[in-house]
Amino acid sequence: MKKLCILFRSAPQGTVKGREGLDLALLSASFEQEVSLVFVDEGVLHLLKDQQPELIGGKDYISTFKALPLYDIESVFVCKQSLAEYGLSHGLLSIPVTVVNDEAISAHLKSVDEVLVF
Amino acid sequence: MILHHIQTSPNRDNALKLCLRYACKEDAILLSSDGVNALLLRQWAMALSPFKLMVLKDDVIARGLTERLSNVCLIDYNEFVAQALLHDKVITW
Amino acid sequence: MALLLGPFLLLMSKFIIQVNGPAYGTSASVNALRFTQAALMGGHQVVCVFFYQDGVYNSTDFSLPASDEYDVVEHWQQLAVQHRVPLVNCVSAALRRGIVSEQDANENALNHWNVSQSFIMGGLGELITSIESADRLISF
Repeated sequence: MKKLCILFRSAPQGTVKGREGLDLALLSASFEQEVSLVFVDEGVLHLLKDQQPELIGGKDYISTFKALPLYDIESVFVCKQSLAEYGLSHGLLSIPVTVVNDEAISAHLKSVDEVLVF
Repeated sequence: MILHHIQTSPNRDNALKLCLRYACKEDAILLSSDGVNALLLRQWAMALSPFKLMVLKDDVIARGLTERLSNVCLIDYNEFVAQALLHDKVITW
Repeated sequence: MALLLGPFLLLMSKFIIQVNGPAYGTSASVNALRFTQAALMGGHQVVCVFFYQDGVYNSTDFSLPASDEYDVVEHWQQLAVQHRVPLVNCVSAALRRGIVSEQDANENALNHWNVSQSFIMGGLGELITSIESADRLISF
């Protein structure tokens, strides 16, 4: 078992990076890896509630984030500074997350075995 | 110790900016592909200066930047492999 | 312990290489190939080269660079044969991008397929088990 961190830095909808990152996160968890998610920069936009990707030909993979606890993915960290930059308050987010500062993210990246950036 | 790997230009992509935000002072940064262009811009060269910095040699030579980047640490692929193992992990941003 | 482990890792280590960029359009694939060649020449093992996201475009036999151009796909294929390194596509990433093996074509009643024999259609599970068994993951 390895500690795998999936880091989301790209926005949802415009590219499929987030979707392919989430696919990997869920599969890693079902392969019994210790998976954590980190959202930074535009990646924090994945966490907004009330998204409707079907309107623009996308698949609603965003709602799959609600299933993270079923996969035992409990470590979901969000960069405090990125949330502030994009003007997002806690109330706008769709799932429970741990809001952390830059130092905490640095420490987390250091603590895991591998980091995959999407 | 992490080896941060940047492959994209800082003018096109936020990879370098994010790497610098979360890198620790003992980490190293490797620039490859258009990532090497960061060193031509004063603001990024300054931001990179506190870190141990490596640049992929062939990507510098291919871009005609050998003279312009004469004072940086150029590495070949054998050294890239060695550095990947010397560090605890490689994060490609 | 660390003193003993360090040099040992340098002598013979296991890599998993992830390629996320296409064969033509960015340099990610060429850089990944050159890293893989250097790792193998240095006596290391490459557990697998995993093609994900736009990396699956490296597996099509229908890429036809001009005769005087560097053919990165051909070099991946040669490397796979010479060093017995598995080249593994993420099948779901591939099918969504029109990258289809003979078996996928049969299953979907298609008359054509484009994935080279050198590539294995696998799943993300193979990426994960390879990460688990390797000392280092390097993504391009």
